Amino acid sequence: MLAGVTGVAGQTRAADTLDAIQQRGELRWGADAEGGAPYVYPDPDKPERMVGFECELADALAAKLGVKARLVQNQWDQLVPALQRGNFDFILNGLELTPENRQRIGMSRPYFVYAQQIVTRREAVSFARLDDLKGKPVGVLASSVAQRITEKAGGLDLRIYPGNVESLRDLKARRLDAVVLDLPIALHYAKPDPTLTLSGPPFAPGFYGIGVRPEDKALLAALDKAIEELVQDRTVERICRKYGVWDATQDRLREYRPDAVAASQRISTLREWPKYLPLLLRGAITTVELSVLAMALAVVTGLVLVLMRVLGFGPLRWLARGYVEVIRGTPLLIQLFLIYYGLPEVGIRLNAFAAAVLGLGLNYAASEAENYRAGIESIPRGQMEASLALGLSRWQALRHVVLPQALRLVIPPVTNDFIAMFKDSSIVSVITMVELTKVYGMLAMSTYDYIGLGLMTAAIYFALSYPASLFAHWLERRLRHDRR
Amino acid sequence: MIVVESLVKSYNQTRVLHGVDHAQSRGETVVLIGPSGCGKSTFLRCLNQLEVADAGRITIGGITVEGGRPPGTKEERELQRRLRMCAGMVFQSFNLFPHLTVVQNIALAPAQVKGVSPRDSEALARELLAKVGLEDKAAAYPGQLSGGQQQRVAIARALAMKPEVMLFDEPTSALDPELRDEVLRVLRRLTEEGMTMIVVTHEMQFARDMADRVVFFDSGRVAEAGPPEQIFEHPQLERTREFLSKVAKR
Ligand SMILES: Nc1ncnc2c1ncn2[C@@H]1O[C@H](COP(=O)(O)OP(=O)(O)OP(=O)(O)O)[C@@H](O)[C@H]1O
Ligand SMILES: [Mg+2]
Repeated sequence: MLAGVTGVAGQTRAADTLDAIQQRGELRWGADAEGGAPYVYPDPDKPERMVGFECELADALAAKLGVKARLVQNQWDQLVPALQRGNFDFILNGLELTPENRQRIGMSRPYFVYAQQIVTRREAVSFARLDDLKGKPVGVLASSVAQRITEKAGGLDLRIYPGNVESLRDLKARRLDAVVLDLPIALHYAKPDPTLTLSGPPFAPGFYGIGVRPEDKALLAALDKAIEELVQDRTVERICRKYGVWDATQDRLREYRPDAVAASQRISTLREWPKYLPLLLRGAITTVELSVLAMALAVVTGLVLVLMRVLGFGPLRWLARGYVEVIRGTPLLIQLFLIYYGLPEVGIRLNAFAAAVLGLGLNYAASEAENYRAGIESIPRGQMEASLALGLSRWQALRHVVLPQALRLVIPPVTNDFIAMFKDSSIVSVITMVELTKVYGMLAMSTYDYIGLGLMTAAIYFALSYPASLFAHWLERRLRHDRR
Repeated sequence: MIVVESLVKSYNQTRVLHGVDHAQSRGETVVLIGPSGCGKSTFLRCLNQLEVADAGRITIGGITVEGGRPPGTKEERELQRRLRMCAGMVFQSFNLFPHLTVVQNIALAPAQVKGVSPRDSEALARELLAKVGLEDKAAAYPGQLSGGQQQRVAIARALAMKPEVMLFDEPTSALDPELRDEVLRVLRRLTEEGMTMIVVTHEMQFARDMADRVVFFDSGRVAEAGPPEQIFEHPQLERTREFLSKVAKR
């Protein structure tokens, strides 16, 4: 069943991926090198080269199989779906040997023992245990063990991040009181930082294993055998020591006995909608709040911009024009990053919601200003001239004659922007906002029901944007009394 | 009432007005005629400051504005506005505000510029509508009116600012012949009431009947001027004669 589904999405594959690997003489392993030290990361001295203990482990495994290893970059929290699509042969990137993972995909025997670590600012009170963090803002990596453990512990003000570098940066920026993350990452990033400290002992140990597609039984067996050999001949130990992530607990690797794996069961979120729909709707509320506030900001700022351009003189006009061009010529993603991570460096610290509203609003303001300008320019010159000839000032002429007529013309493009904003707002998940699309992603990650959840999510988006479109039609018709 | 001295205006490099002089006393109706492109519209637009003249001086109702550059200071802008309020303008294409009713079109400027109360400005609007014979169209939108009706509303709108002078730029040219008379009737009435007017038109009958003086414009200059009998019956210049015979054939 699963094989059929994944076979459609991915490229055509041989009966077992192991054969395919040997045929092409290359194994493709999926990992995320963004903020991936010490697992996989660009060599600081030679950024085009990837290093990290998993990188070297992949090379060692490839050598055992008699092939070369090639890294396929993939966002970390999307590694499992990408594996199932057939983007690469297996996942080798801090994938935990959890019961959930074992149900969804094939998991190899472990190659590393990890533990969780609390990191805080050095000058802050130390939090030795999760219980000490109740009610405090705590950052975790999306879909990580840390997220699962902290969610289970409950009572924390959890913030979900796409990468550990971002969460540690927010810890330093005082948006967070602590970050819970895998010990190796803590050792690599937080330990050398004089402003941060590892708080309390490591806890909740577990194993990392390699993830393969469930049907790739032969590949799994080959990988198990290779890992076992690499552990026994101390290759794994040598690699780990090189990256400073070897400790006494790693001895548990040798005593590992695979437990019986529970039979896989599929969840239909559509059948269990009373459980999942409210979660999605809660995300939708955030999406609506965000879009409405950001659009309000955009509509007003856009008006200010266009008035600066139409009524203003030299520098003001130039400023408004420059703003529009710069905003339209740079990606929204970068603008959001600059507002959320860049502004704290100059002492302006916004929470994620405010940063998201500001980022989306200021971005769309440029587009609204252009909409208004197009509207104003399509009003015949005679309207402005007749107003001036009557003794109205330019501002009065705009306010009473030109803008009211332009308003009707700009309703359709502004509504289109508003509807686009609903959908674009999902991008703010990169600055830890959990809105509708993010909720969808998180639920899909844990249930693997992309289709059922996808249908529900799409239905919610549609239910939100269609009334907006109807309202715009109605408004446009209401304002059209001057038809000739 | 109106004194224009050596008015010069160029667009880009082309000179359109070559030092126009013009003087007109209160209550006088002047009809401006001349071939297409000779600068009649430009002259009117300079008079009420829709265009800023390059050189020369314009005095209307005691307010003097010098040409040269757009108003820079607040005082200069205020002066420009006062001059505009002295000179009502009626355009060939009406330029009514399509999103406002007829009454709102007329009441807007008095309310906004002079601060007349809503009640008074509406009363004024209805009074002026009655004067142009459209009291029953008060609540209509411009799009619901015929061209002739729209132009009469435009005249009422200009009159609402109680200007000293009315400037008409081909007020009937955009209208079907059968609609022109209703507009010309309004103009006649204004002339009879003693309004000071400059009318650019090709309606020679109107010029003969109502003009105190006809000015023939050619290539951005006043070529010939005089009472209608003189211009129409005994034109001094060959160009004037040519122009009149062309217009007569149409
Ligand atoms: N905004 C402008 N920019 C450049 N040239 C212009 C502009 N307005 C008018 N002109 C030119 O100035 C000259 C005078 O134009 P104007 O409209 O004053 O003539 P007119 O006597 O009113 O003609 P008509 O009888 O056709 O209305 C014309 O040659 C015209 O092409
Ligand atoms: Mg003209």
